[in-house]
Amino acid sequence: MIRFENVSKRYANGHYGIIDVNLEIRRGEFLFLVGPSGAGKSSLIRLLYREDVPTTGEIYLDEFRLTQLKRRHVSRLRRQLGVVFQDGKLLTNRTVYQNVAFAMEVVGASGRDIHKRVPQVLELVGLSKHHNHYPHQLSGGEQQRVGIARALVNNPVYIIADEPTGNLDPETSFGIIKLLQEINRRGATIIMATHAKDIVNQMHKRVVAVENGRIIRDEARGVYGYES
Amino acid sequence: MSLNSIGYIVKETGRNLIYNTWMTLASVSTVAISMFVLSFFLVLTVNMNHVTSVLQSQVEMRVFIKPHVSRAKEMTLLRDSRHWSGVAKMQFFTKQEAANTLKKEFPNQKNLLTLISKSNPLFDGFNVYTKRPSDIPALASRFRKQPIVHNVIYEGQVVSRLSRLSVILKWAGWGIEGLLGLATLFIIVNTIRLAVFARRREVSVMKLVGATDWFIRWPFVLEGLILGLVGAIVADIVVGQGYHWLLFEASNALPFWPMASFHQVMQKTQDFTLGGGLLVGVLASIVALRRFLRV
Repeated sequence: MIRFENVSKRYANGHYGIIDVNLEIRRGEFLFLVGPSGAGKSSLIRLLYREDVPTTGEIYLDEFRLTQLKRRHVSRLRRQLGVVFQDGKLLTNRTVYQNVAFAMEVVGASGRDIHKRVPQVLELVGLSKHHNHYPHQLSGGEQQRVGIARALVNNPVYIIADEPTGNLDPETSFGIIKLLQEINRRGATIIMATHAKDIVNQMHKRVVAVENGRIIRDEARGVYGYES
Repeated sequence: MSLNSIGYIVKETGRNLIYNTWMTLASVSTVAISMFVLSFFLVLTVNMNHVTSVLQSQVEMRVFIKPHVSRAKEMTLLRDSRHWSGVAKMQFFTKQEAANTLKKEFPNQKNLLTLISKSNPLFDGFNVYTKRPSDIPALASRFRKQPIVHNVIYEGQVVSRLSRLSVILKWAGWGIEGLLGLATLFIIVNTIRLAVFARRREVSVMKLVGATDWFIRWPFVLEGLILGLVGAIVADIVVGQGYHWLLFEASNALPFWPMASFHQVMQKTQDFTLGGGLLVGVLASIVALRRFLRV
């Protein structure tokens, strides 16, 4: 369970990322975060994975209180989360397999677990055949799947995706969404910031709309709602 | 920390070192040079101390007896003073023996020889060998207080000058070493900074998936340690070979000069260079991580 309580984030330059946000996300939900560019979607997401700390208010994530979380304990929080970015943030000098395995290595997983788990995840995202390829040998959609595989591999409770389909054509985007939906069906909570109107409208999932740093709409089975 | 993690950290450290070959070489050689200079001063100091201690062990005190004192009185003093604390050995000489020694030492001084032969102005006396050089001053004053003693001579000044010189040498060495150490520190800091920079994407991914701070830091700390250590080892090898050669040359050119032994020298330099290398390496990684790795 994630809960934002009167959360505001003011950046050093005086600009507000989000203002007085209250939001509750239960485990197992699939939630779209929509809104124009600069509305505060990314700010909200950065607060979630503790890249930023709220200026006021409190964020609860399961047993964590994010404003109280000591710096050296941030790693514990992050292990509950899988974060996916628009640009994937893949390591270009490592193969698909190594990219995914890297996420397990650095949290101290054993070689045996890695050998067992990575192929499973690659199978799930449909990249088994590409495990020896380097990121530059893959299409945009495939790269994004690697990013998702890496986010998934440590079995996080929450998947946080910041415009994961931002660079992809509609058809590929749909593939990614289907994948996230499958992951959601298997129990992970998905929080996804997006501009992809068609997808949001078709999925009939919870939609939270952000504008000028405030939540202006929160619908259980919502639509995108902007003319974009 | 699990065995998996240790394996990973070692692997990453190796990767860092190989990835930045030139900076690795630069760092290792700066450490080596700085440690070499340190060793140079250490070798000097060890040798100075060695010479000083050899000289100290050879120092003898000469006690001269007033003229016209009977032989019996001289012998009484000789017997008594043998048991004084600090005395290792006593040797009596007559003024005739003193004159003969002098003739042997300066066979070319004709005037001197004729002078001595006519009327011997020398004194009877004792050569006194002490157990420790520090016993000399006390013993000397004790001898002086004896009514039949004319005066006491000992070569304390050479020794004290030598020890003063080695103190100066030591401080100069530390001063230069401090500056060199600082330069070495900066080079290693820079090397680690480059390693952090080269691996910033890895670092950001590591943070993202929940690697602990120390898991991220360790490879860089280890890198600093290895740079320091390898540099020190290189310096040791060079110094070892160099001193070996020096000993060989010196035994030909200066056969009577007391050189400190290979082991005496290497033991000291190894302690200091390895310790210094590790210290610089660790300090550098700490500085580099504080400044460049915001985990």
